[in-house]
Amino acid sequence: MMNSKEAELCSSERKTMYSAGSDAFKSDHSDGVKKTSFDHTLMPPCQDACPLHMEIREYVDLIAQGRVMEALQVIRDGNPFPSICAHVCTAPCETACRRGQVDNPVAIRALKRFAVEFGGDRMIQLEAETRHEERTAIVGSGPAGLSAAYYLRRLGYPVTIFEAYSEPGGMLRVGIPKYRLPGEILDTEVQRLIQMGVEIRTNTPVVSLDLLFDMGYKAVFVTVGAHQGLRLGIEGEDSPGVVDGATFLREVNLGFKPSIGERIAVVGGGNVAIDAARAALRLGAREVRILYRRSREEMPADPAEIEQAIEEGVEILFLATPTKIAGKDRQLGLTCIRMELGEPDASGRRRPIPIQDSEFNMGIDTLITAIGQAPQIPSDFRLRIGRGSTIQVDPITLTTNRVGVFAGGDAITGPATVVQALATGRGAASRIDDYLQHRYPLVSKDEKETLAGELLPKTIEMIRKLTRFEPLTVSPEARVKEFELVELVYDWESAINEARRCLRCGMGAEILFQDKCATCLTCLRVCPYHVPYLDDSGTIQIPADQCQACGICVAECPAKAIVLRKPQDRRQIDEELDHVLKSAAQAKSKPFIIGFSCQYGLYGTGALASLWRGAKAGIWIVPVLCVAKIEAEHILQAFEMGAEGVFIAGCGQEQCAREDTAFWALQRMEKAKKVLAQIGLEPQRLQAFNLYADGEDPATALDKFTERIGEFYLASAIKQEVKT
Amino acid sequence: MTVCGAGGEREVSLLHSALKVAQARGGNEAHSFLEYTVKRQCDFEFLDMLEDRVGEVDAILSLGCGIGVQVIAERFPDIPVLPGVNTSFMGASKEWGVWDERCAACGECRLDETGGICPITRCVKGILNGPCAGSKSGKCEVSSDMDCAWVLIYERLERLGQLEKMRRYYPPRNFRTIPRPRRIVSKADIDLGGNDG
Repeated sequence: MMNSKEAELCSSERKTMYSAGSDAFKSDHSDGVKKTSFDHTLMPPCQDACPLHMEIREYVDLIAQGRVMEALQVIRDGNPFPSICAHVCTAPCETACRRGQVDNPVAIRALKRFAVEFGGDRMIQLEAETRHEERTAIVGSGPAGLSAAYYLRRLGYPVTIFEAYSEPGGMLRVGIPKYRLPGEILDTEVQRLIQMGVEIRTNTPVVSLDLLFDMGYKAVFVTVGAHQGLRLGIEGEDSPGVVDGATFLREVNLGFKPSIGERIAVVGGGNVAIDAARAALRLGAREVRILYRRSREEMPADPAEIEQAIEEGVEILFLATPTKIAGKDRQLGLTCIRMELGEPDASGRRRPIPIQDSEFNMGIDTLITAIGQAPQIPSDFRLRIGRGSTIQVDPITLTTNRVGVFAGGDAITGPATVVQALATGRGAASRIDDYLQHRYPLVSKDEKETLAGELLPKTIEMIRKLTRFEPLTVSPEARVKEFELVELVYDWESAINEARRCLRCGMGAEILFQDKCATCLTCLRVCPYHVPYLDDSGTIQIPADQCQACGICVAECPAKAIVLRKPQDRRQIDEELDHVLKSAAQAKSKPFIIGFSCQYGLYGTGALASLWRGAKAGIWIVPVLCVAKIEAEHILQAFEMGAEGVFIAGCGQEQCAREDTAFWALQRMEKAKKVLAQIGLEPQRLQAFNLYADGEDPATALDKFTERIGEFYLASAIKQEVKT
Repeated sequence: MTVCGAGGEREVSLLHSALKVAQARGGNEAHSFLEYTVKRQCDFEFLDMLEDRVGEVDAILSLGCGIGVQVIAERFPDIPVLPGVNTSFMGASKEWGVWDERCAACGECRLDETGGICPITRCVKGILNGPCAGSKSGKCEVSSDMDCAWVLIYERLERLGQLEKMRRYYPPRNFRTIPRPRRIVSKADIDLGGNDG
C-alpha cells in the first residue's frame, strides 16, 4: 500500500523542470525545507503563490499558538530580509488565501510584521564563513542584489556589491517612500549583510563588466533595476515642471526635498503613481490629483494603498489621460481627454478609448509621470537586450550572453515586486554557485504537491466566518505631515486572533491505508464540514482540498485508519503527554493533576501560563492543538501514570476557526469517565472548562477542582492506610 | 466489529488503557497486557496470525462478537478466552453513536409481507397481526419514544398500494424450539462416482 501511495505522490510531483514556460521565480526552491517521506501535507495556495515559497501556513500557526520566536525562525528560513517584506510585500499569498473564499484572506503580511517585531528580529546576528576563493560581484544593491549577496555569502563566497547611488538598497531606498519602509529597517538588514562579510561600495557606478573580471571577480550578477521612467509621448513633455515618478521619488527619498509647488497632477495607476502622489502631499502640496486612463477596477496599485491615498486627500480622476502640456515652470496648463473602456486587450484589461471632444484643462505646478519604468543597461556591458529594454536571460539559469554574467530583478523583468526580486536573488546565488563549482544547474523541483481546488460551497457554509483584524494606521491628518510609517504593528491579542483564522489548507486528514478502513462511515458522520464522502466504488474519500484539519475523524475512527497529513500533528499529544508524565514522575510531587489545554489563542499562552504558575504545585499542562484531538486513551494514560485528576481546558472558542470541538472533547471525557467508574475512580476526577466563550472563570474553576482532587487523594490515602 | 464501535483497533486500545489504569490503581497482581487487532475473528485463517503472540499469555480477551470468542476458543484449546463484548443484537446505525435492533435472525423471514419492516424485532410483543390495543398515535404503550411497528407497516403498505397484505391473517409463528445449532450448506453434494466407466 505504502509503495503505491508514494509512487502516486511522486508521479504527481514530477513537474516541469526545464520546460520553456516555467518562470525563473517559481523554479528556485533550493533553500526550502526538504520533505520527509511520511509528510503528506500539500503545499497550501499561499506558499505556492509566494515567489519565495515561504512556509506561511507554518508560521501563521506558530503565531496562533503565541510561539512568536519560532514563527520568526520559520520566516527567516524562507526569506533573507523578513523585515522588509513585512512592510512592503504585495502579499500575493493573501490573494491566494482560501480564507478569502469564506470571508477575507488572512492578513499574512501584517502577521509577518508582528512576528518580526515581537520575535526580536532586530537582535538577530548573522555570520558567514568564507569557504570559497572565487570572488563574486553584484552590480546594484536593490532587493535582488542584496538577496543574492545574502545567499552567496551563506554559500561561502566573498561578495562585493557595487551601488551607483550614495546609499544601498536600490528601489527599496530610492523608490519606496519612507512612510512605507523606514530607512532604519533597510539599514538594519544592510548592516547584517556587512556583518556577514559582504562588501558594499556605494557611489560606485559600474561602467564596464570587463573591468570587474579584470579586478578578479569570477562571476557577476547584474541587477541594476528599472529606474528609467517611460515617456508619455505628448507635446510639451520636456517642459520644466514635468518630472517622472522614479526620479521624483528618488529625490524625495535621498532627502533633496524637491520644490514642486501646490497643485500636482500624477499620471498613472500603479504603485509608483500612488507613492508619488502621497509623497507630494507630504512635501506640502495642497491639491494632488492622479489621472488614470482606466477605471478603479483595472488599477494595478495595491487597493489598500489606493484607499490610504484617498483618505489622505488624493483625488483620483479615472478614465482621463493628458494629451498636451503647455506653459512653463509653476504655470503648467494640462490638457486632458476623457476615456471609455473598450474590448479587453492583450493584458486582459479593457482597452481605454478616447472620447471625442471631451478635452478639459487644468492648471498645475508640477506634473509627475508614473506610467511605467524600464531598465537602462549601459551599452558597455555588452549584454543582449530584449523586450522593454530588459536584459535577455535564460529563465532557469539566469545566464546572459556573456560567460560568468548573470542577471536578475527588474533588469530582466521590468518593474516587479520586492518579493520577486528576493526570489530571483536567491535563485541567482544558487546558479552562480553551480557555475563556479562547475556543476550542472541543480534546479530543485517542488518537493510537495500543490493543493489544488476551490472550497466547495457546502464546505464554505460550515466554516466559521471570522472578522479580519486590520492593523491600525496613523490618522490621515497626522500622516500627511511627515514621512513616518503609516501602518502600525498588531498588538499581541489581535495578531494571535488574526492568525487563528488560518484554514490550515493541505494539512488535513487522510486515510492511511484503504485496507485498514472498515468503511464504517464514522468519519462521514462526525465531520462538521461534511468532507468525507463515499465514492462510486463504495470507498471513503477525504478530499484534501476540503478538509479543515480539525482532527475529529482521526480521533473517532474505530479502525484508527485516519491520520493527519503532518507527522508532527500525529504525535503531538502523545509526545507532550509523555514528556509531562516523565517530568511529573521526576518531580515526585503528590498529588498531581494533568491538564490538557488548548495551545491556540491567548488562553494557550498568557492565561494558561499564569494559571499554571498561580495554581498550587502539582499541575502539569499538556498543550494540545485543539481539544478535539484529545482521545479517551490520553486521559486514561494520565491516570495510569499516577495523576489524581485530569482536566481539559478549551480556548473559549471566541476566535476558534473550528466547529464542534467542545462537543467532541466532552464525548471523549464521558467515555473516560465510564471506564473510571468501572475501575472505582470517581468521575469527578475529570473536568472540562473554558470550552465555551461564556463558561466559568477558569481560574476559580481550577481552584475548586484542585481542592476536590486534594480531598479525593486524602480519602484514598486513608483507605490505603486502613487496608495495610 | 469495528463498524459498530464495539471492537476494532480503537476499542482494543481503550480497553488496554483501562486495564492498565485498573492495575495501576490498586490491582492485585502485576500483569502485562498485549493488544492486537485482526480483521475478523470468525475465520481460522485470521487467527493463525495470533499463533506466535499468544504463546505466553494466560488469557485472551476478545472484543469480537460471540462467534469470534468461540472460534478463538476452538483455535487455541489451551488458553482461556474471555468475552470483552456482550454481543446483543443485529442492528443498523441511526446516526453516529446510536444503533437500533433490526433483525432477530429467526429464520422465518416475513419482510416481504410487512413492507420491509420486521414486526418480530421492532414490535415489543413481536406479534404478527398488529397493531395491538397498546398502539397510541403511532407510538407504543411501552414507551412514547418508540414507534409502533405495526403503524409503520400500515403506513408503508398504504404508500406501496399493498394494503391487502394488512387484511390477511397470519397464522402464529412456530414457537417450537429451533433445532440448534443451525447450519447452512451452500455447497452441493457432488458425487464424482468413478465406477460408471
